[in-house]
Amino acid sequence: MVGMDATGDGILLESDGVSLSFGGVIALENVGFDVRRGEIRAIIGPNGAGKSSMLNVINGFYHPQSGTITYKGAARTQMRPHEAAVQGIARTFQNIALFRGMSTLDNIMTGRVHKIRSNFLLDALYLGRSRSEEMRNREFVEHVIDFLEIQSIRKVAVGRLPYGLQKRVELGRALAAEPDLLLLDEPMAGMNVEEKEDMCRFILDVNEEFGTTIALIEHDMGVVMDISDRVVVLDYGRKIADGTPDEVRRDQRVIDAYLGVVHG
Amino acid sequence: MSDLSNLDTFPKLLVDRAQRFADKPAMREKAFGIWQTWTWSDVEREVRAFACGLAARGFRRGDKLAIIGDNRPRLYWAMAAAQSLGGIPVPCYQDAVAEEMFYVLDHAEARFVVAEDQEQVDKVLEIRDRLPTLEEMIFDDSRGLRRYERGHLHDFAEIQNQGREFEQAHPEFFAGEVARGAGEDVAIILYTSGTTGRPKGVVLSHTNVLVAAANGIKRDALKSDDETLAYLPMAWVGDHIFSYGQSYIAGFCVSCPESSATVLADLREIGPTYFFAPPRIYENLLTTVMIRMEDAGTLKRRMFHYFMEVARRSGTRILEGKPVTLTERLRYALGRMLVYAPLKNALGFSRIRLAYTAGEAIGPDIFDFYRSLGVNVKQLYGQTEAAVFITMQPDGEVKSDTVGTPAPDVELKIADSGEVLYRSPGVFQCYYKNPEATRETKTEDGWVHTGDAGYIDEDGHLKIIDRAKDVGKLDDGSLFAPKYLENKLKFFPQIKEAVAFGDGRDAVVALINIDLDAVSSWAERNNVVFSSYQELAARDEVYDLVQHCVEQVNRDLAADPQLAASQIRRFLILHKELDADDGELTRTRKVRRRTVAEKYAALVDALYADQDHVHIETAVSFEDGRTGIVRADVQIRSVAPAAALAEAS
Amino acid sequence: METLHSVFVQPFIEIWQAPAFFVEVLIGGLMSGVMYSLVALGFVLIFKASGVFNFAQGIMVLFAALNFVGLLDLGVSIWLALPLTVLIMVALSFAVERLVLRPLVNQPHIILFMATIGIAFFLEGFGELLWGGDVRKLDVGIPQDVWFVGEVMIQQSDVVATAIAVVLVLVLALFFQVTRVGRALRAVADDHQAALTVGIPLQHIWIIVWSVAGFVALVAGIMWGARLGVQFSLSIVALKALPVLILGGFTSVPGAIVGGLIVGAGEKIAEIYWGPIVGGAIEEWFAYVLALVFLFFRPQGLFGERIIERV
Repeated sequence: MVGMDATGDGILLESDGVSLSFGGVIALENVGFDVRRGEIRAIIGPNGAGKSSMLNVINGFYHPQSGTITYKGAARTQMRPHEAAVQGIARTFQNIALFRGMSTLDNIMTGRVHKIRSNFLLDALYLGRSRSEEMRNREFVEHVIDFLEIQSIRKVAVGRLPYGLQKRVELGRALAAEPDLLLLDEPMAGMNVEEKEDMCRFILDVNEEFGTTIALIEHDMGVVMDISDRVVVLDYGRKIADGTPDEVRRDQRVIDAYLGVVHG
Repeated sequence: MSDLSNLDTFPKLLVDRAQRFADKPAMREKAFGIWQTWTWSDVEREVRAFACGLAARGFRRGDKLAIIGDNRPRLYWAMAAAQSLGGIPVPCYQDAVAEEMFYVLDHAEARFVVAEDQEQVDKVLEIRDRLPTLEEMIFDDSRGLRRYERGHLHDFAEIQNQGREFEQAHPEFFAGEVARGAGEDVAIILYTSGTTGRPKGVVLSHTNVLVAAANGIKRDALKSDDETLAYLPMAWVGDHIFSYGQSYIAGFCVSCPESSATVLADLREIGPTYFFAPPRIYENLLTTVMIRMEDAGTLKRRMFHYFMEVARRSGTRILEGKPVTLTERLRYALGRMLVYAPLKNALGFSRIRLAYTAGEAIGPDIFDFYRSLGVNVKQLYGQTEAAVFITMQPDGEVKSDTVGTPAPDVELKIADSGEVLYRSPGVFQCYYKNPEATRETKTEDGWVHTGDAGYIDEDGHLKIIDRAKDVGKLDDGSLFAPKYLENKLKFFPQIKEAVAFGDGRDAVVALINIDLDAVSSWAERNNVVFSSYQELAARDEVYDLVQHCVEQVNRDLAADPQLAASQIRRFLILHKELDADDGELTRTRKVRRRTVAEKYAALVDALYADQDHVHIETAVSFEDGRTGIVRADVQIRSVAPAAALAEAS
Repeated sequence: METLHSVFVQPFIEIWQAPAFFVEVLIGGLMSGVMYSLVALGFVLIFKASGVFNFAQGIMVLFAALNFVGLLDLGVSIWLALPLTVLIMVALSFAVERLVLRPLVNQPHIILFMATIGIAFFLEGFGELLWGGDVRKLDVGIPQDVWFVGEVMIQQSDVVATAIAVVLVLVLALFFQVTRVGRALRAVADDHQAALTVGIPLQHIWIIVWSVAGFVALVAGIMWGARLGVQFSLSIVALKALPVLILGGFTSVPGAIVGGLIVGAGEKIAEIYWGPIVGGAIEEWFAYVLALVFLFFRPQGLFGERIIERV
């Protein structure tokens, strides 16, 4: 279902002149690009190009030294991760950050934590609206489970699942938040060919079925080029190309960056 | 069960069921974590809407409707809808690749396809250009199909909507179409998966399916409150009979699992009373239990093993109502409380009244395991060409090595060659567009060649021993069934492969491959030192081990007058494992008998000569592609025939 | 020989000769074990949700009991004093979160531990300032009679205390397993970083766990107070929770309960049957010695997660 606020080419997120450094090490330097509503936007680059830093800036884990992030038309320099979540930004991690001791179902249910209108503290007493809200949440989560075809592991503790399935559960938890912007940090890392194909299909289907805007980062060019609408290429913290997959593929600087770096 | 004389087609039966069992559940499916239920009147409504929708789209009598996907209520409804209009459903194996699917769709001249989801739609789209007869495609799950071009691609619900409109305009249409059907009409074409050559389309009439299914119900007294789980391929005749035919006749409820990966969990939740599975499913279930038991605490594990021993001793006898001592009965009752009941519950078998296995031989250990728990597993022998039932084991007459007595209305005879033939109301009409194959299989007067060799034992039970083409004779004219012997040997975990020789010879000999995993762990426990397969295979201790297995097989054979002559007299353990890379096995790990016979001719000759060891050089290919020669001195063992042993004991 | 006999044989003969008395001792021990369990439970809750080892948990028991008994002495009825004390404990949680935890977020655990020592001293002083340092008798109407089951004598107050503790544990278990907040609490206990990303507000979670721990402390405080009177030595009794935690594991709710029962029953039995040999007072140190033994053989406790330090 296409969200109400998906208006054609509208810009959902824009980064402008974002720079970030740790101590003396520059992670991002004057990076600017935008993400349009409803598109799949890839941020690629060799290892260490600053892709994860960029995602962490968008998500509020890092605060850039200069530059602004404009999200849904409002510019901001600082945002906490939990505020980002409330604002409709959900994400997954390269090194899966699931609640390993909890079941798949519970993990995905936590994705709906801020989809709650009743007060969180009052909710602790399990009063009032919280019960019927819980039912609605469960219903939505069941749709996510069905969508990702993980019915068979509903009650299984996540720590016991194989890697590929954990990635899927993490995607499920992000989807449960009904995000406006979904950030995927190397969703295909460490997967075999079949798992990669599955993940590609899920990403495309999420984009199509829910109209979710997706920004994903990958260091492996191949897969991403097939599923992305537009691609930003970073190298050593700087943007070196931005355009459709075809344009980017032909860009000499991109070719150099990839040839010059050993990657897996 | 109701009178079937006026209800000679499935659509007529459905209309009747919608009144007789209006509010009884007919189907369930787990969707979004909750079991959804449709009553018989719901099902009739759904089928009617879809049938009218098909008609609105131009579906005519005699048209074929291909059905591709996992077991889904809508796919079963599509089957009934096509039949209502005098059309013929053609279910396809959902895991077939596009090319295999092409053969079936093309051969059956399907005009309509109902596919479960994007995966299946993609497959059909891939071959669509080469299918001139194919017109309309309908899908159940729209997920991922949103952006597909919609000209001839429709949502199932959309067709049903069109159907409801169509019905408003033509209120008498559906009833009229159903009434036009007759028992001798073609009900379904089932393509056999075809281990050899192209698949053949088995044409079954409504009467074939109805009578065969009803006879099965009669034999086991199935009732409308039975429950079953539909999880085996819809294209397979078993599913068609158990989940469709028998459900319509008896009126029992069929549940569809949430997904193919959740079958075990769904089994537990539904707790079917009537269950069908090929042997490998029973094996897998048993393996999961065993693994869980190995992880359990010491007390639990001890308890499990103790009570399983009690069950092995007395469980089957108690199930069959045979005399058992009182203390043993008490032990079993205690075991039921502490072990069997929880175990059956974990397996989803706590309500099972009747379970069947068929398709291939089931290991006696596995078979006995379930029966000793009190699960009434029985074997049946059937074929697509017979609408399943040829023989089935009656309650109380269950033996692990026979497949039971003829099903109601089935006549059985054994040809001189040993091949089993049958004749029954379920016998198929013909192979679709293949009169030659039909003539080869079905005689003028209705006898069907099974292709299996077997005989009828003294209790009137059919015993299948081998494929007919593999069966030979010893030089004294007695029966020699190599596969039967080999399977018996392979039921021992220590034996991985066995190849038996004896056709035209005076005695049976065997080449044996040990199972490296099983035997090496045995060797470690018994301090037998070895460094390679070849060394292990040559150990006297291992020979002793295998000899025990062979003697056991011989004892079983001796008890059977037909096969007593084919006891294994001499054997040797091969110095290398049979390998697909060396052409000794097929890629699906079946022994290439002729290749092995040629390659190891020297060994076979030595087995028939009076030697006690033989030297051999064999060319092998290693995993890195190099080839080399393996030289070995192979020991030969003689085994005393068991008739003497049997008398002695 | 004489000594061996008195250690390994004599006590068992005594147990064999008077089984009813043994059962009485055992039950009495289990009852005080329940109290240890309650205190340990408060530790576990906070440790799981925030990784903070709350040194102040023992003092919180005292502080809650002091407030409760203080309000009663002012003439407030029980049914008003109870919610008021709960409110005080919730207010305390807000204060702790705002003044201690939030400023120290992302500091090493040892710093937070030190901070809880500070909280302990503050509460002790503050409690004394508010309500004075006298021993106060607490009477909440728990029956003081005894029941006889066969020859075994059972204190009614023990039964009531156990019942309340059981209900409390069940309610907590339900809260954690069934409610959304409970799930959020488990999530935070599992992985802080991930909890942040899905938008679980950590500050609220801290307030909730400290409040729950405060409530548990109140229940424990009332029970202990009704038995021994409310006095400052309560905080020392509460320190027994430490060996209980070592036994049960720092992250396990069932561990806290079983650990408490073992310590309670163990020390009573040891005191009665082996105490005379060493001149008594085994009760004072039994728990710590038991914990020491456990540290040698099973440092993660009975139910705790195995701690594997990666290098």
